[in-house]
Amino acid sequence: MRRVFQRMLEAIVIVIVVALAVVVVTGVVYRKAGAALVWYDEIAAILLAWLTYYGAALAALHRGHIGVPALLEQLRGRARTCVVIAGEVAVIGFFAVLAWAGWEVQSALSGTSLVSLPGVSAGLAQSVIPIGAVLFICAQLLSLPEALRGEPGAEEGTLP
Amino acid sequence: MTVALVLLFLALILINVPIAVALGVMSVAAIVALGGWGAIPNVGLVMFSGATKFPLIAIPLFILAGTIMNATGISRRLIAFASAVFGFIRGGLSMVSISASMFFAEISGSAVADVAALGSILIPAMKKRGYTRNFAAAVTSSSATLAVIIPPSIPMILYGVMSGASVVELFVAGIIPGVVGGVLMMFASYLWARRNNLPVEEAFRIRRVVETFRAAGWSLLLPVIILGGIFTGWVTATEGAGLAVVAALVIGGVVYRELTFSGLRRAVLECGHQTAVVMLLVAASALLGDFLTEARVPQQVALAITGLTDSKLAILALLNVFLLAIGLFLHSAAAIILVVPIVMPLVQALGIDPVHFGLIVTLNLGIGQQTPPVASVLVTACSVAKADIWAVTRANLWFIAVLMAVLLVVTYVPSFSMALVEVFYR
Repeated sequence: MRRVFQRMLEAIVIVIVVALAVVVVTGVVYRKAGAALVWYDEIAAILLAWLTYYGAALAALHRGHIGVPALLEQLRGRARTCVVIAGEVAVIGFFAVLAWAGWEVQSALSGTSLVSLPGVSAGLAQSVIPIGAVLFICAQLLSLPEALRGEPGAEEGTLP
Repeated sequence: MTVALVLLFLALILINVPIAVALGVMSVAAIVALGGWGAIPNVGLVMFSGATKFPLIAIPLFILAGTIMNATGISRRLIAFASAVFGFIRGGLSMVSISASMFFAEISGSAVADVAALGSILIPAMKKRGYTRNFAAAVTSSSATLAVIIPPSIPMILYGVMSGASVVELFVAGIIPGVVGGVLMMFASYLWARRNNLPVEEAFRIRRVVETFRAAGWSLLLPVIILGGIFTGWVTATEGAGLAVVAALVIGGVVYRELTFSGLRRAVLECGHQTAVVMLLVAASALLGDFLTEARVPQQVALAITGLTDSKLAILALLNVFLLAIGLFLHSAAAIILVVPIVMPLVQALGIDPVHFGLIVTLNLGIGQQTPPVASVLVTACSVAKADIWAVTRANLWFIAVLMAVLLVVTYVPSFSMALVEVFYR
């Protein structure tokens, strides 16, 4: 299950990164050719937001977000389990609120369209918030057993 | 209420909740306290708009250019060229590490990418030539920090977006301090090498320099083309980053023919992962920004500090100490996102140029990458060298001293960083 979930998120992230690069490069070429694309800025910015949330779910699966694990590393046994669970409650609670808030916004905007592309619904662009939040919660739950065992994720948050 | 919210934030950080989420929880609590549950949909709106800031698109693209170049044997070529140029000096391998870092910095913009790419080749080579593992890790780690000063720089892009300063001017302001920092690090490692009788690597031969330059030529030309395009205004920083990706694909796939499909897949995923980690912080900081504005926290901080002293020099010293302390405990992206919105009104009230202050922030947080307990670049170097983090830190004091010296000059001699900006952009 976890493997399928990871592969799905990886595929989405790859598609978004490639699309973002293609859109920016196409935008440069058209601008230099004297025919600037009106939708370039808006679509590139939306792709960045999509990369943020789909990528964030993938990073959560690897427990790769930037945190301060110093205290947790000192704890053992029950105390450690309690602290990990308290942290999970905070993370899942926040993304549950975000999913709800995102759903409200997405529903409210479903009748409107993007400024530069009237044919595309603004709700579609905003859908990343509720979907991304739910995916983040799934990633958090799927990686919880490793977090409880104290195994490191794939990699620490590394930038910059 | 502000104190209670800060305590909540600190408690969440202490139990290892991701900083982005801790920021979000604190901001949601503030939004509910100020506007009730009816204000919650704002969280969805702000978390979306916070992630759509156009100049930040340069971040994934520069990262992608760096990860692609990394997958194409660029490190090996840069090291061979640096060795031909500097290998004849005593302690030549440490000079190779520093100079290759400076070249690599012009492509990747990320210090961790820099140390991971070069350290895996240079640290084992240094150990084989009699360098201690602690010194090998220290010199690789510290020289990688030059990546955040020498353009392009991901922390500078983040700072530019948070402060409103021009990213291009920030890039230009980093050139002289970055190069001077690199030269001073070479001098420090030369002194160390003489003291510890470290070997020279190879005799200086023009033919070898030309050969290795030819092999590495494209990787050396890439930053010239990209940064030249950005600095002359031919393309914006974001467009330049897009062109860097195309150039990396052409050089790796067509010229070097070393880019495999699986290497490209890993590079794209690495880019997605790193971008999302930073961007979630940026999006959450937009929520925090709303609360800070509402509670007038930046203005209160400015008033409190100017109440202590109105000397610009003393306040700059206070800000440096504060930023260095923050750098001990936070990753640079998180530190920029938390600190910059709070101190900018103070910086503007004092008449400090935001570009000049941007370099001060970047350098401070670059030093923070070298100082445990939270030191992402140092930790990566230690893990490659299989060395103890505190033992490496002792060897690293030489190089941290160099970075501190550069910081002092940048802070108190503004023209050191601003001269090029003044000449070309003001």
